Amino acid sequence: MKFSLDIKGSITPFVAVGRVFEEPKTICYPFEKKEIAKGYRGFHTNSLDKCIGCANCQDVCMNDAIDMIPIKEDRNPKNSSGCIPRIDYGRCCWCSLCTDVCPPSSLKLEEDCIWASDDSNNFLYMPKDK
Amino acid sequence: MENRVIKIYHGPQHPGITGNMSLELDLLGETIKGARTHVGYLHRGFEKLVERRTIIQAFTIVCRICVPEPDPNEENFARAIETLAGIEISDRAKYIRTMVLEMARVASLLLWIGGQSGSIGLGTVGQWSLFDRDLILDLFEELTGGRVYHMYIYPGGVRRELPDGFLDKLFELLDYLEDRLPLYDKVFFENATFKKRAIGVGVVNRDEALKNGYVGQVLRGCGIKRDTRRDNPYLVYEDLDFEIPTFNGCDVYARAMVRRGEIRESIKILRQIIEKMPKDGKIMQKIPKHRRFKIPKDDTFVSTESARGEYSYYIAGDGSEKIRRMQVKGASLIHGFTLLEKLLIDEELSNVAMIMNSLGICPPEIER
Amino acid sequence: MIEKLKQNYEIEEKNQRLFKIRIKQEELITVISSISSTTNFITLSQIACADWIEDEVFTLNYILTTDKRDKNLMVEISIARDNSSIPTLMKLFPQAEVMERDLHEMYGMDFIGNPTLYDFALEDWKEIPPLRREFDTLEYVNSNFEFRKGREDNRDVKVEIKRRRAEAKKRLKDGK
Repeated sequence: MKFSLDIKGSITPFVAVGRVFEEPKTICYPFEKKEIAKGYRGFHTNSLDKCIGCANCQDVCMNDAIDMIPIKEDRNPKNSSGCIPRIDYGRCCWCSLCTDVCPPSSLKLEEDCIWASDDSNNFLYMPKDK
Repeated sequence: MENRVIKIYHGPQHPGITGNMSLELDLLGETIKGARTHVGYLHRGFEKLVERRTIIQAFTIVCRICVPEPDPNEENFARAIETLAGIEISDRAKYIRTMVLEMARVASLLLWIGGQSGSIGLGTVGQWSLFDRDLILDLFEELTGGRVYHMYIYPGGVRRELPDGFLDKLFELLDYLEDRLPLYDKVFFENATFKKRAIGVGVVNRDEALKNGYVGQVLRGCGIKRDTRRDNPYLVYEDLDFEIPTFNGCDVYARAMVRRGEIRESIKILRQIIEKMPKDGKIMQKIPKHRRFKIPKDDTFVSTESARGEYSYYIAGDGSEKIRRMQVKGASLIHGFTLLEKLLIDEELSNVAMIMNSLGICPPEIER
Repeated sequence: MIEKLKQNYEIEEKNQRLFKIRIKQEELITVISSISSTTNFITLSQIACADWIEDEVFTLNYILTTDKRDKNLMVEISIARDNSSIPTLMKLFPQAEVMERDLHEMYGMDFIGNPTLYDFALEDWKEIPPLRREFDTLEYVNSNFEFRKGREDNRDVKVEIKRRRAEAKKRLKDGK
């Protein structure tokens, strides 16, 4: 291979050195948190006053992630089955089809999306009542 | 000392390999004498899975076929279903879809800069470009609710209305990205190290490029102007004014320069979209409920230009609410086997990662 | 170009840029080589296979694309589902090799003359080829894997509604 000196190409990359003096772009995670956009598809919330226990969400879920389980106390007289959805987060893919088909729009996704547990069986998630 | 051919696995443990695949290389010293591609580390059986699901349910998994750029999959799927079911989507939905596809292309090309520069040891550039990609992902997060898997382009339109002030934010981001591009030129595209490594390496045979079905930057790096957006236009690309960058040389450097041009063209397209997008209009056509959404017994073939080349779907319906067959052909299938195995012969071992990156091989779409 | 094809074949026009012809299995090589040499459908983009189990056939769509990449032609053949073998197109298009290898693994048909019909994405797969319709993924999962415990309390909503209605009726009666 013939050696040929590419002076411009050898010098210009050194503009990268100038960036040493810039502020870091990363955030210091546990102390400083990234603001999550409104409308992010995070965890489920279910307004028990509105949920009618129709199981449309269970029907549309392609991952079979949703179980309908009996409610402890009846909150909505229109809830004829007495059941509310519980989601298996080991299977959920956060496609939000369940929230699309919810007739009273009680099932929603919130911005919160951080889940940590020391038990691998701990993925069954009861949506927060909001 | 006799010359012995040794066999090594250049597998997913190697940071330079583009994802979960491996190459079986026959080495004579540092020179490659034979190469065989192996896939199967990421086979998820999507084509089988969609046969069990209704159309609406199947829509949520097609985006997972290609991780770095999921939107062409969604677009292909949605367009094929619309063709079969006879749905015509509104102009506004078309513009929004084009915008999403172009944003995804810029994001994917920035990710590629990271991969390509990483493969030759210029790690810093990769850090910058991934930061810039994250800014696009922030916009996606706001628009679609997800950063990587958007699940946004839906048969019948798009799923959400644009948030307030979204186009202004996009405009600002485009300004920012345009300011950054000269920096990438200085540090990466005009870098003497990159030029020295890339020029004359991985040369594709120009004569057989069209016949062998190569797509995307491989063709355009050979100076052949082919782009699905122009040749077989879909959505609103007919109304938009853009160039197709080409570069002669057929080597890694030529493909890099084509991609450099494409980022600029995509930014130009996005600016036009912001200008031309209809202010109002519905984004979603009325489609039947998921158990009643049936497509006739017919088949179709659609293709979209992804950031790696033409991406096509064959979809056959059988008159029920399920899809009979969805067959995906990503840009990487031919590049990863027919082209790569031939291209690597007589190259040096240290160039393998660079060549793979420049072909833009994405294993998830090879094995689906 | 399309007019030229129309003289010899019956063309179904799917849209302005997508055409389809149906031919017999035996004619495959002759038709595809004559189309690719006489018209400008010079490249093979995809070999798409669909399983029509109710008609006992696979349909194979060889999708040819022009050199301008602006039109696609689907050449469809039907083959028997079992023990079927078709000649390979490797001699005409080198990219057919990997596509046929993929189809062989997923459907089990043989491509005569293709030397690479070994494992593609699946490793040590002993069952029937997975994309055939008779392969039931759910059954396979149920017999080979265990589901995670803890979801047994799922209720069938229709049964629950019936039960609650009956209970309410009974209560109404008892109340009277």
